[in-house]
Amino acid sequence: MATIVDIAVNTEGFSTLVAAVQAAGLVETLQTPGPFTVFAPNDDAFAKLPPGTVQTLVQNPPQLARILTFHVVAGKYTQAELLEMGQIDSIEGAPIPVRTGLNNTFEVKNATVLAADIEAENGIIHVLDNVILMG
Amino acid sequence: MATLTEPTPTKNVIPPSTHPFADIIHRLEAGGSMLPDTPENLKQIIGIYKAYAVPMDFYWRDLLYIAERVFLDPLPAFKYFLPQSYLDLPNHYAGDTADLRIWRGEAEAHPELLEFMEKGELGKKLPKIFHHLWHDRVNMEFAEACKQAMLWHQGMGGRFNDYLYTDEYKANCDQAIAAYFKGNPLMLTLHKHFPDLFYEKCRDLSYYSNLGLFWEVMAPVFFEMSDIYDEGGFKGVPDAMDFLVNGIFAVAGRPIYHHVYVGDECFELVPKSKAFTWLYEAALPYVEAVFYRTAPFRGTKSYNAQAHEVPGDQKDFHYGILYADVFPVGSAGIPPTLLMQDMMHFLPDYLRDYYDDYCRGDDDVLIQLGITFQRSMYNVTSAVIQALRTALLYPLDDPNPEHRLANRQFFEAQMDRFLRPEARLRDIQSQDYR
Repeated sequence: MATIVDIAVNTEGFSTLVAAVQAAGLVETLQTPGPFTVFAPNDDAFAKLPPGTVQTLVQNPPQLARILTFHVVAGKYTQAELLEMGQIDSIEGAPIPVRTGLNNTFEVKNATVLAADIEAENGIIHVLDNVILMG
Repeated sequence: MATLTEPTPTKNVIPPSTHPFADIIHRLEAGGSMLPDTPENLKQIIGIYKAYAVPMDFYWRDLLYIAERVFLDPLPAFKYFLPQSYLDLPNHYAGDTADLRIWRGEAEAHPELLEFMEKGELGKKLPKIFHHLWHDRVNMEFAEACKQAMLWHQGMGGRFNDYLYTDEYKANCDQAIAAYFKGNPLMLTLHKHFPDLFYEKCRDLSYYSNLGLFWEVMAPVFFEMSDIYDEGGFKGVPDAMDFLVNGIFAVAGRPIYHHVYVGDECFELVPKSKAFTWLYEAALPYVEAVFYRTAPFRGTKSYNAQAHEVPGDQKDFHYGILYADVFPVGSAGIPPTLLMQDMMHFLPDYLRDYYDDYCRGDDDVLIQLGITFQRSMYNVTSAVIQALRTALLYPLDDPNPEHRLANRQFFEAQMDRFLRPEARLRDIQSQDYR
């Protein structure tokens, strides 16, 4: 089975995320056995950010890594497990609230999950329509 | 990537707010600012941003100079004497060498600032010491008061302050202190026996750096806003607010750090690798400490803490610009007055003419511009509120009523902070408040 990074690299619509993970130096970490739960914003999610936001972050790998690790949780958690927990701590340290939204949508903080429970060799991916931020 | 411009939300997704500030909440929900959208307000706030940006160009440079070079000088009598190297220090967000070129300004100190530093209000080129002693200079006391507010209030989100109490930070300080006081057994002995003395001073200096790095960004942002206005670019107050929202996002990831230079050697007290960011560790704590909280300024009004005239809880402090009665602040030597004095030197002509037409004209220009400044900071705070809503909540035109309700609750919670009688939110709704 492919790792989380392999899946992101080989799936269309995640080029910004992949570039960001590379710039932040997190590729090796996300290739380890983990397991991890990754909330993966797609390219459209990154494109919603105002101009300069991504550029400044890419110029500053530690700061970029901090934002990206807010999208990663230690352990493998499916949609059902996350919804039961209601909230989970990210690797960055800040908590991520999860809930069921209107029309049974799976909501992670202020993002909606577009595709849930994508299994990887070292974890699980949930695709987000927004970049989520701490706070 | 698209610039954020807020669409007009579809109506009736949720019922109207019943909050005492419902009209302002509905304005925020429609993509507006707490400050009403009038041409007069736009003129005032942009004019004052420009007048603020010039001294701010000095403030950030001197804050970094004090944090990085003056450091633990026990008698820092010349800390406001900015050396040429710091006047030439290229701004990271302006000029050809900028990390991110969104704003057009030059990298070096602004020409109006340099002219003022040379001749001052006197209009005469004298040795710097005379301008200094005559107090004919940029007043760093205001900048230091802001820094002091950030240091004192501390726990306002972000992780910067927590780091200043770690063993890692103390070890970094030890190295810098040893190098700085090399050959000074008195100071080294003092540090050995009373280490917290210099650690605390280092924390203080780390906040100098924090604020310097914060304002390094704001100066070119305000200059750019003034230029856009002069070119006829802003249609109204919401445009000016959206510009600030975009700016907040653009530099949100800028590192906040504290480097100290002893000779040619650099000591990283707060390394960039700690991942502290402009948004979380500087901008948000700054807004909380300076716009909302601060502390009563000496020389303004006396409070009896024993009679509970001062809140027992620091989070309830309400002496910032959003609550300020600008009139008593207008006495000599009080930090906000010193800021007003600084801004008065760089007012654009259209604002000078405007003040001439009202109240006592030139005689109370400091009060008038102080109230303009208050208006402008309500607009900056609106930008911060909208930026937080964008980052943490939902678009204003989100069709999902649950999301719209979450936005509503957020706006209402923000407005709750202005329910106390000292808040000036009601006053700024009227143009007659000056």
